Amino acid sequence: MICLKCLGAALIITAAYVYGNGISFYYRQRVQQLEELLIGLELFYTEVSYGLTPLPRAFMNIGARLKEPVGAIFCDAAREMQKNRGLSARECWQNALKNSAALLSLSPGGSQLLERLGLAWGKGDKNDQLRQVKLIKELLRQAHREAQAELQKNDKVWKYLGLLGGITLVIFLL
Amino acid sequence: MGKTRNNIIKQICPFLVPPIRTIIRSLPVEILHKIEEIRLRHSRPLIVYWAGGEAFLGKKGPVLTTGEAYHVFGEDLEKTLELISSYSLYAFEEELKQGYLTLPGGHRVGLAGRAVLEKGRIKILRDINSLNFRVARQIKGVGERVLGFLFDRQTWRIYHTLIISPPQGGKTTLLRDLARLISDGAGIMGQSGQKVGIIDERSEIAGCFQGIPQLDIGMRTDVLDACPKAEGIMLMLRSLSPQVIITDEIGRAEDVQAIAEAVSAGVSVIASAHGSSLEEICQRPVLGELLQENVFERLIFLNNNKGPGTLEMIIEGEKGLPLYSARYGGEERAK
Repeated sequence: MICLKCLGAALIITAAYVYGNGISFYYRQRVQQLEELLIGLELFYTEVSYGLTPLPRAFMNIGARLKEPVGAIFCDAAREMQKNRGLSARECWQNALKNSAALLSLSPGGSQLLERLGLAWGKGDKNDQLRQVKLIKELLRQAHREAQAELQKNDKVWKYLGLLGGITLVIFLL
Repeated sequence: MGKTRNNIIKQICPFLVPPIRTIIRSLPVEILHKIEEIRLRHSRPLIVYWAGGEAFLGKKGPVLTTGEAYHVFGEDLEKTLELISSYSLYAFEEELKQGYLTLPGGHRVGLAGRAVLEKGRIKILRDINSLNFRVARQIKGVGERVLGFLFDRQTWRIYHTLIISPPQGGKTTLLRDLARLISDGAGIMGQSGQKVGIIDERSEIAGCFQGIPQLDIGMRTDVLDACPKAEGIMLMLRSLSPQVIITDEIGRAEDVQAIAEAVSAGVSVIASAHGSSLEEICQRPVLGELLQENVFERLIFLNNNKGPGTLEMIIEGEKGLPLYSARYGGEERAK
């Protein structure tokens, strides 16, 4: 009987610890994904300002150099554009975002910024294009700073909270 | 003719927004065969043009009144612009400045909108309000009729030639076919093809898409695409050793200087210019100068009397003798 109780307690504590870690992981992922996005926009800046690379090819090049799921957004958008279905750049980008939505750990503000990017792609001449992307990059940088602050604040809290929550529950049950 | 229909369906339709794409695809074959232009104008009906005719298009095909026609709106134009520029307007600034984009297959899209100026020159076109899809048509064989007048039968040298016609008179089509015939050396030229250099400032002769000629311009032809004529001629002379240089719509002072360089380097020049008569051309400051100096040994006049590319007259440049005149039933007076 004691063995069973110990096993149950261990299971509860492990589950609570994993749950706390999961939330902490979500904050870390958010920071990493925003970093990847910033790298992607930096790469886009280079593709456009030095190579004038057409958008679908630039997206493919960028997507290949970024980690998932951010890389997949660029690659999916490029594929949508190459399908010749008559969609605008914004629609292609939105479809690509939908495909990766489940894997993204962004805050509502971050997701809105990603959607706003769809309005910027392929618009205006080189200077216009770079200006618009630069503006969104600034906003993403701000979102990245906020995500980092949240990570610092919440990372250890959730890890400990999970563990301690599990222990507390076990004590109550015993 | 069937090729034109396929060109429109396969090469132009992918660049149209879905509603207009559907309308064009559902057109009767006899209209698809002859379409030369598809016009998209903001808040106005969708119209297709062909030689001597036009049709308003509604959702179910040609309609009689503008009220029934499909009206093109801002979103259609914006999306179409994205599609023809491969979502990358920034990559086509030079073309936007010139007012056109070239599609695969050599088809061209003319643009109209608000011009943004910088130092008095067009920097870019914004707020595009009109798009004109011009179907590229290569008519092979149109040059065969005139080629016999254009070379010295003893030395095989091509004479310096100027082709003159009003707009849409068939100058570019003739230049393209002459390039092909001279380069391949088939038929009347025997097998002695010559090295041809095309300076294609407006991408009309070779219809280049991303630098690759989309139309048949011959196996010994080099193309400088989207290159200013004067600079292109000098570049061609320095590095590509052409025997014949072909270019269109000459008229600026620097073009004349470059042509003079080519002529003195022993390279034959075939060029074209807008105009309707010899008198009119002679009065122009730059072209008149070239004609007075008898640079051109052959002058070819085309008109639209029996459709684009109707051969009106061929004149021997120095003495002004007509070698061919449609007025005399196409009698060839001298060879």
